[in-house]
Order: sequence, then structure tokens, then C-alpha cells
Amino acid sequence: MLLQVRQLTKSFDDKTILRGVDLDLAEGQLKVIMGPSGCGKSTLLRCLNRLIEPSSGQVIFRGKDVLQPGTDVRALRQQIGFVFQQFALYRHLSALHNVTLALRKLRGMSVREAHAKAMHELGRMNMAEHADQYPAQLSGGQKQRVAIARALAMDPAVLFFDEPTSALDPLMSREVVSVIKQLQLDNVTMLCVTHDPFLAKSIADRVMFLDEGVVRAEGTVAEIFGAHADPRIRDFFAHEHSAA
Amino acid sequence: MSFLQMFSLLASGAGYTVLVTVACIATAVVSGLLVALLGRLRIKPLNRVLAVYTYIFRGIPVLVLLFIVFFGLPGIGLSVPPLVSMMLSLGLIAGAYLAEVFRGALDAVDESEIMAAEAMGMSRSQILFAIEVPQMLRFSVPGMLNEFTTVLKYSPFAYTVGIPDIMKQALALASTTLRGLEIYLAIGLLYFAIYQLMLALMKAVERRFSVPGFKRL
Repeated sequence: MLLQVRQLTKSFDDKTILRGVDLDLAEGQLKVIMGPSGCGKSTLLRCLNRLIEPSSGQVIFRGKDVLQPGTDVRALRQQIGFVFQQFALYRHLSALHNVTLALRKLRGMSVREAHAKAMHELGRMNMAEHADQYPAQLSGGQKQRVAIARALAMDPAVLFFDEPTSALDPLMSREVVSVIKQLQLDNVTMLCVTHDPFLAKSIADRVMFLDEGVVRAEGTVAEIFGAHADPRIRDFFAHEHSAA
Repeated sequence: MSFLQMFSLLASGAGYTVLVTVACIATAVVSGLLVALLGRLRIKPLNRVLAVYTYIFRGIPVLVLLFIVFFGLPGIGLSVPPLVSMMLSLGLIAGAYLAEVFRGALDAVDESEIMAAEAMGMSRSQILFAIEVPQMLRFSVPGMLNEFTTVLKYSPFAYTVGIPDIMKQALALASTTLRGLEIYLAIGLLYFAIYQLMLALMKAVERRFSVPGFKRL
């Protein structure tokens, strides 16, 4: 198992966001975490690479509890690619330099090596011809593909997606879905937070449903999206379908 | 003496005016950057010290501080050369203003970009120098240009500590020729020419580092 989360909790002041979350992610698996807004999905994802410090619990990554004191947090993060809802591209850098920056700073690659690696990853995302363009010159879907290329360039053990299609229109969402599907074929391990049923149905190996900081259910797409026994889950999907 | 002859005499002081202006701008940029970047460390006692610096230096007139440094400090055995006195007065006062420009520009850097860099595993200093400072400098161009212009306009105080800048030449010439109107009009033109040069330089730098879609503050 690549990632095991046990009894993870997170509280901000007197508000508890995560209440004993358990999660397993195997190599090559694509798990989708769904749930209503504010249920703690994004907080969970950020706790796993310690962008947010969990209050208690265990996050066992490659057999090691990374919440233990003395963990090299920066080294941990370098093994986890993170793709954000709002793309978070560095706006003063071209698409190419968005990808090369971490390769140069963290991997210590030469300009030539970083350039070659970045062009390979941008090519994988069909973005090679836009390498010299700046974020403001790209569409939402293109920005998200650059963000994915930037994450992939570090050869992460797992890729986290935080609502990767929420800021995109349906057409651009499909672009991103097809990219994620391609990564799935390439056996990339992924954990994706979303409340977009189309995205979840299109890509998930397994779906975990989080509600008020608690895992209410986990199963295949068919099990979760079908007539689920839990009325909260049924209500959520009924609402999402009508909203869509 | 013809107007042209007077003008060329006055222009001989322009080198010193440029020197004083550049030295004070350099002091201002370094001190302003230092204050703004140290402020990002969010160490409360340090931030108080920095706040006191900006508060005091923004409140003191340039000439008063210049006289404290140049004429006051020798009283306690510290003799400060004229150019250094200008840097420690005009330079540091401009630095206090620039620190605020830089601080505002740093706040304008998108938090999500900083978080993305943290998520990649970049260190605080890597994020600061690869993401925050390059964006901050671009955001700061209008504020910097304002402050650089102010430094140029206060640079004539240099004559009070014996630097032979344009103003000093003008005073000497006016006292010997009694043609004050022409002389002061001529130095007005000279300062305007230096200002235009500075403007052109800043615009060239801005163009060189311009990024599509990157809006000034």
C-alpha cells in the first residue's frame, strides 16, 4: 500500500474538520474523494502532504508515518504532486519555466536537462507548442494541463488533484478528464478530490464519500452512485444531478 | 556669458547630481527590500523594530536628517563624508517609503502560487526569491518610479554638505553673474532632462521584464 491514513483528525480552534478518517491508496490506483462543500475533502488532501498540520492520527506513506517528528516535510512533498483547483501557475513564468523551476531548484538539474524534461512532460499534456506562453495567455484547460505537467515533472509517487475541474467549463473539464484517463493508463497513482459526479464517474477506481469530516462510505462507482443505502449519499447525488 | 556657456557650466555639476541620485536610490532599494523581506519573516519583535524605522524615517524632513548626520554626528566623534550623509538621510528616508511599496507588492502575490510552491517542496527562501520577489518588483514599478523621482528632486540638498552638484554650480554662477532667472531656468531644464532619462530607463527595464497579463498595481 502506497498510502495509509489512520484515524486522521484536524481541528481549527473549536471546529473539528476531520474526525478519524481512514484511507488506503494502492500503487496505480485512482481514488476519488467526494462529498459536499465544506466536508473536509481539501483539508484531508492538504493534511496528507502537511500543507496543513493534522491534529492527530497517522499518515503512512511508503511504510513510514510522516506525521512523526523529524520527518523531512519538503522531501515528502517532492514525492507528492499536487494539482490545484485554480491552477496556481506562477504568472511571471512561461509554461516551460513553470515546469522547469522545481526541477532546477529541487532536483538540481542543469538548464538543458530541466528544459528537456519539461518539454517531455508538456508534450505528454499536448502543451509543447504553448511552452513559451504565459499563464494569462492560456485557457483554463491549458493552464490545468500545464499544472499537471509541472507536477508530473517531479516524477511523484502519487498525484493529488484538488477539484481539478471546478474552475473549468464542461468542454475544458473533458480535456482534463481525458488527461487523467491517460495518466491512469500510464499507471500513475492518483487521489482526486471533487464534487463533480461526471469527473468521478469517468475516472475513479474507487470512490470515498466524506461528510462532515467522517468517511460515510467507500466503494466502486457503481456502489456509491447507485441507490446507496445511506440517505445522505443518495440526497447528495440527487442534488448534484439536478444542479448539473 | 552666453546662455549656452552657462548651461555647459551647470551641466558639469550634473554628474554629481546623478551620482547622488543613484547612490541614494541604491540605498533606498536595498534598505526598502531589506525591511520588506525581513517583515515577511513575521518575527514580532523584529517587525516592531522595522515599523519604528519606517515610522520615524517617513516623519523626518530630509534636510533635518541630513544636518543631523553631517553636522551633528561629528559632535560625538563620528565624521560622515558628504555622499554617505546623503545616503544615510535621503537614501534611508526613501527606503522607508519604498519598504511600504514593496510590502504592498508582496501582499499582492497570489497565495495559491506560494502554496503550490510549498506543495512542490520548495523552501521558504526559494519561494521568496523565485516567486515572490520577481513578482513584487514587477508590481512595484509605479511606486519605485515615484520614489526615484522624489530622490532626484531632493538631491539638490547635496549642495548644503558641499557636493558640487547642479545646484551648487547654479548658486555660484548666480552670485557672480546676477542672472538668476536664466540660471535657475537652465537647471530646471537639466533636472527635467535627468528625470526624462530616468523615466526612459525605467520604461526600458519594465519592457524588458514585462509579462503578458501581468497587471501593475
